[in-house]
Amino acid sequence: MEGKVVFTVFRHDPSAGERPRFVRYEVPYRSGMTVLDGLLYIKERIDHTLAIRYSCRMGICGSCGMKVNGLPRLACFTQVSELGRSIKVEPLPNHPLVRDLVTDFTAFFSKHRAVKPWLIRKDAEEQENPTRQYLQSDQELERYIQFSYCISCGLCYSACPVVTALPEFPGPQALAWLYRFYADSRDQGGRERLRLVDDATGIWRCHFAGSCSQVCPKGVDPALAIQLLRRAVLRG
Amino acid sequence: MSERRLMLLHYVTGIGILITGAVHLWVVFFTVPLDQTIWETTMLFDNHPFAILSVYRNALLASTLWLLLVFTTYHAMNGIRVILMELIPNRSFVSAIKWVLIALGLFLVVYGTRTILIAYNIR
Amino acid sequence: MLFPSRYSLERWSYTLQRITGVVVTLYFVLHVIETGNFVGGPSVWYVPPYDYARAYYEEIREFLHNPVFDVGLVIIGWMVAFHAVNGLRLTLAHFGITLGRPSRVEPEAPPRSFSPFQRAIFWISIALAVFAVVYSLNALMGVLAA
Repeated sequence: MEGKVVFTVFRHDPSAGERPRFVRYEVPYRSGMTVLDGLLYIKERIDHTLAIRYSCRMGICGSCGMKVNGLPRLACFTQVSELGRSIKVEPLPNHPLVRDLVTDFTAFFSKHRAVKPWLIRKDAEEQENPTRQYLQSDQELERYIQFSYCISCGLCYSACPVVTALPEFPGPQALAWLYRFYADSRDQGGRERLRLVDDATGIWRCHFAGSCSQVCPKGVDPALAIQLLRRAVLRG
Repeated sequence: MSERRLMLLHYVTGIGILITGAVHLWVVFFTVPLDQTIWETTMLFDNHPFAILSVYRNALLASTLWLLLVFTTYHAMNGIRVILMELIPNRSFVSAIKWVLIALGLFLVVYGTRTILIAYNIR
Repeated sequence: MLFPSRYSLERWSYTLQRITGVVVTLYFVLHVIETGNFVGGPSVWYVPPYDYARAYYEEIREFLHNPVFDVGLVIIGWMVAFHAVNGLRLTLAHFGITLGRPSRVEPEAPPRSFSPFQRAIFWISIALAVFAVVYSLNALMGVLAA
């Protein structure tokens, strides 16, 4: 693939009082180029005012989530060659907009904290000052290891149709983290954890639309975690 | 009732509808009044699907139909509640619509029960 | 959001399950009211030679003898079949049955929750729904016979 790639980029600064608009940029194609590479080319050579958030450029930090050609994806993890000549870049839906492609994750992370994403020990002293390593078998590890690959990039949260309609819903990421600790043999939270989401705006609002698992760049499969969590809640 | 109970009932009634609804469809599509007696007593004629009325003189089928009525009413009203509370996440709206749905559900059960009783009592 | 063209089958099932649920609810309400009117109240049936009953029957049959209701019934048939079987699929999934087991991540593998069994039930629900349409078209309009 030679020549130019057309980037259509969402531009909007809510504080400036201007209208949201799409701006076209032409970027020369390089082999192996990612969407993030293209956006950085725009920022360096064409328009310095473009706001983007990124850090590691290798799909580990989860900072550069954005809607690329209609689906939430990590810009650094998406090859231009798999999208074609015309690429449309928008900010992640379901997160409030800060500017251009940068979104506000405050609500997202507060929901993440609300599910207590840490090991709970019944012994208060042990909780604060652990005295030993907690060993577990391979089988015990298998029960949750998949869900611990989550990098909290927020793609599942922006793909979820329930979050769109009901902002109080914890979202796939928080629920998957909850199950990740619930299923961990070292965790003693037990039913106390389940009670965190067993309410009218909690786990019952998931209807298995599966979009979270479809867009997850790390293969975490939050939809699976949520259904397993619901099974645990249903069994009371 | 807790949300857990409400949703658990949603699954239970769903499975119940699958069973009682299958009986209902079977009765509608594969049972036609065959003998003169039923023809006379129900006053329903030829093979028209509404000859179904005569079938519900059978106590077992009538009670299956009644169960279908109750299951479907709960399942439908709870389903509407779920959709509305997700579309319009306003607490006062959700609690207001709850009473509308309970009233509609009661009406459906009462009116449907009346229909089933009338059909059951036609001799 | 209503038409999730870029999302997977599960997202379509979510949207369709809601739409069919609402429409079947409307049908259910009308069906209860209509059948209630149809029997016309107990008194209708107590007076031989049942002239009232005959009148009620004729009146309502005339009202229902309308292509709009026929087409509506065909659509309802599609929706009931889809909603029933897809609802069974969702119930199984919500109880954690028929899904894959969590495992170490295999790159590029489809999510375990989109298991072949789940996908199969989805397509069965579509197939049954199409069968319901064919059956009801045949029963109501004699399309196949003509």
